[in-house]
Amino acid sequence: MKRMKRRELIFKVITYTLIFLLLFPLVVLVVWSFTKNWPWPNIIPREFGLRGIKYVFGPSSKSLKILLFSLWLSSVVTIVTLLISIPAAKALGVYDFKGRRIFKMLVLAPVIVPSVAVSMGIHVTFIRLGLANTFLGVVLVHLIPCIPYGIRILTNVFEIIGESMEMQARVLGANPVKAFLYITLPLISPGLVSAGSLIFIVSFSQYFLTFLIGGGKIITFPMLMFPYIQSGDRMMASMYSVVFIVSSLIFLVIMEKTVKTYYKAENYFYI
Amino acid sequence: MSKLELKNISKRFDGKSVLKDVSLVVNEGEMISLLGPSGCGKTTTLKIIAGLVEPDSGDILLDGESILDVPVEKRGTVIVFQDYLLFPHMTVEENIGFGLKMAKVDKAKRVKRVREMIDLVQLTGHEKKYPGELSGGQKQRVAVARALAVEPRVLLLDEPFSNLDARLRESMREFVCDLQRKLGITTILVTHDREEALMTSNKVAVMLEGSIEQFGTPEQIYKKPASLDIANFFGEKNYIEGTIENGMFKCKIGKFKANHNISSKVKAMIRPEEVELFPKSADTGVLGKVKRKKFAGDRIYYTILVNDTEIRCITKSEKDFKIGETVAAKIDFGNVVFF
Repeated sequence: MKRMKRRELIFKVITYTLIFLLLFPLVVLVVWSFTKNWPWPNIIPREFGLRGIKYVFGPSSKSLKILLFSLWLSSVVTIVTLLISIPAAKALGVYDFKGRRIFKMLVLAPVIVPSVAVSMGIHVTFIRLGLANTFLGVVLVHLIPCIPYGIRILTNVFEIIGESMEMQARVLGANPVKAFLYITLPLISPGLVSAGSLIFIVSFSQYFLTFLIGGGKIITFPMLMFPYIQSGDRMMASMYSVVFIVSSLIFLVIMEKTVKTYYKAENYFYI
Repeated sequence: MSKLELKNISKRFDGKSVLKDVSLVVNEGEMISLLGPSGCGKTTTLKIIAGLVEPDSGDILLDGESILDVPVEKRGTVIVFQDYLLFPHMTVEENIGFGLKMAKVDKAKRVKRVREMIDLVQLTGHEKKYPGELSGGQKQRVAVARALAVEPRVLLLDEPFSNLDARLRESMREFVCDLQRKLGITTILVTHDREEALMTSNKVAVMLEGSIEQFGTPEQIYKKPASLDIANFFGEKNYIEGTIENGMFKCKIGKFKANHNISSKVKAMIRPEEVELFPKSADTGVLGKVKRKKFAGDRIYYTILVNDTEIRCITKSEKDFKIGETVAAKIDFGNVVFF
């Protein structure tokens, strides 16, 4: 009995410490975004101000418009990445072919090789193709860091569910398209949510690639933030960061809820 | 309900021959078993019939027409897989109705048919449950109902009972066999369980290493195995080498009358249940010493040493001999098979 209680206590201490460590920086960020003046040894800011919130949400500000555009861009990237990843992941996870393991490793290459290394070459090519400074160009270049996550997560999902459910649907009279829509898609939907979330975040926080390929014409939210972080305007930088975090959080929650209500999705992998 | 014919089906995977020239005829309404050890190509055969795997050569005829070019979903050959593969995101009802929905049967008819199937497999009251909430036997019945709902031309059962515990297995086996007989569906049952194959089927096809070694009624298969391998597959046997001369089988343990005329070196296969043990005083058969004894409830497994030859036999548990005791072993040569 006593030991149980002690264990529980230790468990609670660890959990709350972790939560605190994760959330405390966010609290500081929120405080900073309303702080005008916070000189060094003070624990509490000396002066608060609303310049940040006024600037970001003010009527003359373009921040909201750019935020919405950013969300739109990242949504497009997420959908395109998933559309590419599903068949690729199915091939890697279910079918046995020569060179499968090498492909599986190569898929991760963009995560290992810094994107700066390839993006210069891509930039030159995109200029030639007329894709530089365009929405399509930015979407395409965002696929580079996003696809590895999409394929990797979905490959694992396909490895777990395998091909047998689809086979069963086929012998019961479903053609390949129907078997995919009625059986495979609902089964992988939890994987789609987690892959989609990660892809969205990776795309949403992309700075360098957008900057390079977008050439200042395509402006996303991180690009709006960056000058303030660089120039040390902490109030503005924090305000933007808070908006950044909250908006992506809201977006992810909405995405998960939609998928779940549509597919009644639960985790079927552990039955 | 159709006649199914396999003609010289062969299949190789990665250069390894999995099926060699498999031919098989299943008459309308018949239930046959495909019996063999794991990895002998039984499941591949089923998948080829269903169209999930393409054969390298050979043909499949359903009612005399080749179905090789018919896509999986239009063949009307439904497999019930070993692990049931119920769709986890659908209720029992939706699972059973899935095939009908795919066939675009209208909703009223579908609901009616699903209800019939649920009655048939005795799952009333479980319609709204998800597969995760069902027991093994119930899942099995949903899987069977789902397959039967689409009125398949051929029903293919891939080791459907092997995931169930012994008692449930027996009752499910009975249940499915009754259902098969009642509906008269042409059925192929794949199994590695000898008893299951013998008990359930009109005919048994024994498959070893990718080819069908023998195809016949359960009695034929058991009493007259076509080869040593098949005989071995049906359990431990005694093999005694000897020669046949003038209708007498001569071997290490003695001379016996043999119903076999070719005079040559042969191997006699003696089933353990065809050796009867008596006390020494009975004065029949050959004398031997009890070497090993294993009590198994309703039977006892003995190993008897006759002239340095080990002979295994099974007796009722009343026949109680001690190890080392001399006993008389009477061998029933009427059923002995010579190879």
